Amino acid sequence: MFNFFSSTNIYLLIQKLIKFINSIFFLILVIGLTFALILSPPDYLQGDAVRIMYVHVPSAWIGLACFSVITLLSVFNFIFKIKNFYFINKSIAPIGLLFTCLAIVTGSLWGQPTWGTWWAWDARLTSMVILMLFYIFYILTFKLLNKKELIIKVSSVIAIIGSINLPIIKYSVEWWTTLHQPASIKITGSNSIHSEMLLPLMVMLLVFLLYAALIFLMKYKTEIIRIKKKNINRN
Amino acid sequence: MISNFITMNGYGLYVWLSFSVVFISCAIVYFRTKKTLKKYEQDFLMELQALTLEEKNKALENSKVAQQILATSSKVN
Repeated sequence: MFNFFSSTNIYLLIQKLIKFINSIFFLILVIGLTFALILSPPDYLQGDAVRIMYVHVPSAWIGLACFSVITLLSVFNFIFKIKNFYFINKSIAPIGLLFTCLAIVTGSLWGQPTWGTWWAWDARLTSMVILMLFYIFYILTFKLLNKKELIIKVSSVIAIIGSINLPIIKYSVEWWTTLHQPASIKITGSNSIHSEMLLPLMVMLLVFLLYAALIFLMKYKTEIIRIKKKNINRN
Repeated sequence: MISNFITMNGYGLYVWLSFSVVFISCAIVYFRTKKTLKKYEQDFLMELQALTLEEKNKALENSKVAQQILATSSKVN
């Protein structure tokens, strides 16, 4: 079973997955955009500005999910010393940073017509900026440090400290009075979003997830080639 | 109807700007990542080709990844 996780098998699997995602991505993107920009109804209060939700919410979710995965793998890496987790984290971090930045920018663009301001230092917005800073520090460890062991230690510490911010982001709208609205979609309990808006949101989430997976696979493939190149030089 | 779609009932600037920022950023990241991957594949191939025949065969025997990159070299170039 462990043989399946060899870099060779992973490399072959990555190639197949990249081809598969490339083949379905544009179809799902077109469906998602059609729903988000044309078919979904405007909000009774926010009007058509609500359509920003279809890019803002998936971006924020993926930004948070990427950091959660990084933290989990950093802890596993600390305990089990699995080299692959280091390369996976290195490949995921830029994706997380991209989507966190996009969530902040699109949130700001959504804030102007709905709140009347581009920015407010409230709990949700500030905690998202802190997440972005943790991503930047995390990525900088790979760029600035040379020794792999040191990179693993420093980046893991940053990820574990940064993970404290994740529940703060999630519950900030409940713990403090913020401009940001409370969560409309809950894993447990009923959603306060209509199915006509929930469906486009889920399709757009799928589009973003496929894109994130594609970038991750390409970055991870690059890492595998980098290792193989080093091995050739050694031989 | 088309005019309503473009103006989004007065919210067009914010909606279109949001979607544009997202898709332009994603496209830039996609093409940069693809370019880096291709560069590494080409560098790997060049290093492989610089080896002697014996070293090359040994490297290919030991690494299926090397075989794969070599097999897809026509796509890379």
